[in-house]
Amino acid sequence: MAAGRAGRWFLLPGLVFLFAIDLIPLAYSGWVSFYNWWLVRPRDVRFVGLANYARFADDPEFTRAVVVTTLFTVGAVLVEFLAGLGLALLFAQPIKFLRPIRVLLLLPLFVVPVVGATMWRVIFHPELGVLNYYLGAVGLGPLPWLSDPRLALVSITLVDAWRTIPFMFLVMYAGLEVLPAELFEAAAVDGASRWQSFRHITVPLLTYIMLLAILIRGMDAFREFDIIFVLTGGGPGTATQTIQILNYRAFGLGHMGEANAIGIVTLIIVAVMCFVLMRAILRPQGARS
Amino acid sequence: MKPTRLRATLTGVALVPVLVWTLFPIYWITTASFKTELALYAKPPQWLFTPILDNYSRVLTNIPFFQYLKNSLVIAIGTTLGSLVLGTLAGYGFARFHFRASEAVRFLVLVTRMAPRMVLVVPYYLMMQRLGLLDTYTGLLVAYVSFALPFSIWLLIGFFVDVPLDVEEAAMIDGCSRLGVLLRIVIPIAAPGLVVAAIFAFLVSWNEFLFALILSGVEAKTLPVVIAGLNTDAGPLYGEMSAAAVMVMLPNIVMTLALQRYLVKGLTLGAVKG
Repeated sequence: MAAGRAGRWFLLPGLVFLFAIDLIPLAYSGWVSFYNWWLVRPRDVRFVGLANYARFADDPEFTRAVVVTTLFTVGAVLVEFLAGLGLALLFAQPIKFLRPIRVLLLLPLFVVPVVGATMWRVIFHPELGVLNYYLGAVGLGPLPWLSDPRLALVSITLVDAWRTIPFMFLVMYAGLEVLPAELFEAAAVDGASRWQSFRHITVPLLTYIMLLAILIRGMDAFREFDIIFVLTGGGPGTATQTIQILNYRAFGLGHMGEANAIGIVTLIIVAVMCFVLMRAILRPQGARS
Repeated sequence: MKPTRLRATLTGVALVPVLVWTLFPIYWITTASFKTELALYAKPPQWLFTPILDNYSRVLTNIPFFQYLKNSLVIAIGTTLGSLVLGTLAGYGFARFHFRASEAVRFLVLVTRMAPRMVLVVPYYLMMQRLGLLDTYTGLLVAYVSFALPFSIWLLIGFFVDVPLDVEEAAMIDGCSRLGVLLRIVIPIAAPGLVVAAIFAFLVSWNEFLFALILSGVEAKTLPVVIAGLNTDAGPLYGEMSAAAVMVMLPNIVMTLALQRYLVKGLTLGAVKG
């Protein structure tokens, strides 16, 4: 294998570009977060230390955003995980007609997120929507999908699930595909039931991938923006205002110090999640090699 | 274990609600784009109707759709080229040159993808404002290349590693430089990988909303921002919105179907191989 010297001319352009575009804004963001900086008053920028951060401690709006973000993330990931696992098991069966159908299941993942959210806005429409028409016809509706504070959170979770169940499905399906078939055959010979071989072979061997899928999705759901922005914009009131939407609003109001401070807090939370993820990835690798 | 006929039937039955859930929204917006105003708002909802193209012609004439389409296309193609060039070089570098901490650096590349975009967009906005690059192709292009690049690098490493070493060595003995080997030997062999990386990079740019929303005003506005705008300004214009939405998602659907063979490999990248 070649020595490292010549390799740098291949590696440097991409790496320098990548780290410059990511790290310079992050460092700048950290710096701005210590200032009282309004976009409309560029001459009146004052250093305020940690004041932008200290505000979060007793700001009910921020606390509320943390709660909403947590509810949304946990709810979405839970639904997506269970549905994805179920589908992966369904599609792992050696049944012929499943193969051509597989790709249809993946389509939502590739639809432009804004377009996907738009579809659901049409479906959820209180008077004109197809969903409320048929719910009404069977006596269950109409329901205020996006205008009731509690239901709105459920609705955005459902739309997020629609879009990303395919991801969960794909990761776990790929995991199931590489499980050695002999194990299951041996278990069947020994008289193990389907449930037993799922519980004692599939689950232990798939734990690593399940964990990985949950963590990746967890980080993605935590920073979801497009769907919530299009469906509710954070409303009604602050019912679906996640940290990301709050951050966008602080930016929209021109409060750069606070917007950047929220960003840095988000970054820290995601970094912790990322750290957990890396440990989960690196540990089994170390154990294997 | 061979599944019984009963099992296959039960699986088929279970699939019906799954497919309805997955495909109905796509079906509904597509049909909506061909409906008249009357059919759109009809109760009960109309399943059979005479398709019309009015919604499409209205989108194309009422808003400068072609201008936005051009913006989206130019930025997406630029992103694709940028991330392919940088990704090919770096991917080959990682695949063929091993140095201390190369594993760690490779991992760091993936980590950059994890920073929430909202954290990046605010300082990025302030920086672009200073540089006078707000509402320009360049501002969005640079950001999107950085979004697509980690994925391109990782995907291409996988394809480059599979290129047989002795072919490369033979070419170098014949006097080919490293770059020559990459251009004349490795790239042709790994062409499918480059196609996949190109399509993913294109979609990253084509789909992106947050940066486009914040950084573009009038000149560089891309299609997702236009669609979100049709949704809220002066009440939703369902017919036009649906037509625009269908046109914007069409490339995605076509590419997904064309790419299906590589989807598992691409999307679960690294996650499953371990």
